[in-house]
Amino acid sequence: MSKTTLRAAGISLSVAFASSLAGAANAQLVARHDLSAAMALTMAETAVATCKTNGYNVSANVVGRNGEVIVAMRGDNTGPHTLENSMKKAYTARAQRRSSGDFGDSIKDNFTAGALHLTNIVTARGALPIKVGEDTIGAIGVSGAPGGDKDEACAKAGIDKVADQLK
Amino acid sequence: MSKTALRIAGISIASALVCGVAGSANAQLLTHKDMSLAMATTIARATIDACKAQGYNVSVHVLGREGQVVLAVRNESAGLATFENSMKKAYTARTFSRSSGEFAEGVKGNPNAGALFLTNITPAQGALPIKIGNETIGAVGVSGAPGGEKDEACAKAGIEKVAADLK
Repeated sequence: MSKTTLRAAGISLSVAFASSLAGAANAQLVARHDLSAAMALTMAETAVATCKTNGYNVSANVVGRNGEVIVAMRGDNTGPHTLENSMKKAYTARAQRRSSGDFGDSIKDNFTAGALHLTNIVTARGALPIKVGEDTIGAIGVSGAPGGDKDEACAKAGIDKVADQLK
Repeated sequence: MSKTALRIAGISIASALVCGVAGSANAQLLTHKDMSLAMATTIARATIDACKAQGYNVSVHVLGREGQVVLAVRNESAGLATFENSMKKAYTARTFSRSSGEFAEGVKGNPNAGALFLTNITPAQGALPIKIGNETIGAVGVSGAPGGEKDEACAKAGIEKVAADLK
């Protein structure tokens, strides 16, 4: 193919793509799967119970697609900051679509990273995004264990508990 | 007895009383029982289920002795404001040690009631204090049913579920 033909083909493809996007946006609503309160409660209970089994008292938060709190759970004998911290970790994991710890690692040497100046963003490990395929529909955050990796393990247990329903 | 003798006797009694109080305050910590997360979870689940059985979707907050959130559950099928409202109702019931509906009755016709200007106080029915005898150790607040009395009935069902353990 000549360069011109290629270019023309490219333009046609772009136009077709743009048309289909515009059509979809006008013609139908966005279909989404979201967390239910029941599922969120199961996840939080599992996370807190898992850490308890491991010997740690933790608090947990499950936030939804827009970072809204669906379940906030204060563990017995936890530090007063753990409820807030688990919420912020969860919000960070939701916003960043990755673990709050991975986010923290990625900006470790960059104190001026823009995200650090947003409300409810923290760099601490202990929260994981809740995903349906590639779609992040929420996050679960845990705080109270002696180490973010230990918090994160409990968050993972919470997600694993409902994994078969995340589709 | 002479006036002087009476006065001396009075001073002795007063001294003994002061020492007794001071001694007691120095010698031991306050002892009280608090709600566990497990109990709060049972209350919240029973509350949500009671309303669900009647066809109402409600959000629920269970607060502890200091008004702190022990468990918060946002119902995906309830109105947006219900999450906040259930917390404020619960806070109101906790702080006044009576139902938020009774508080509302108490301030009816008095828009200048001081309590109405405090943070998180709301004159809306739908929350009950959680008590051990006459001691308030927390509260459960409900929002989402069509009428505060219906919210309150579900809160009552939640507390009744753990009534045997409230001692």
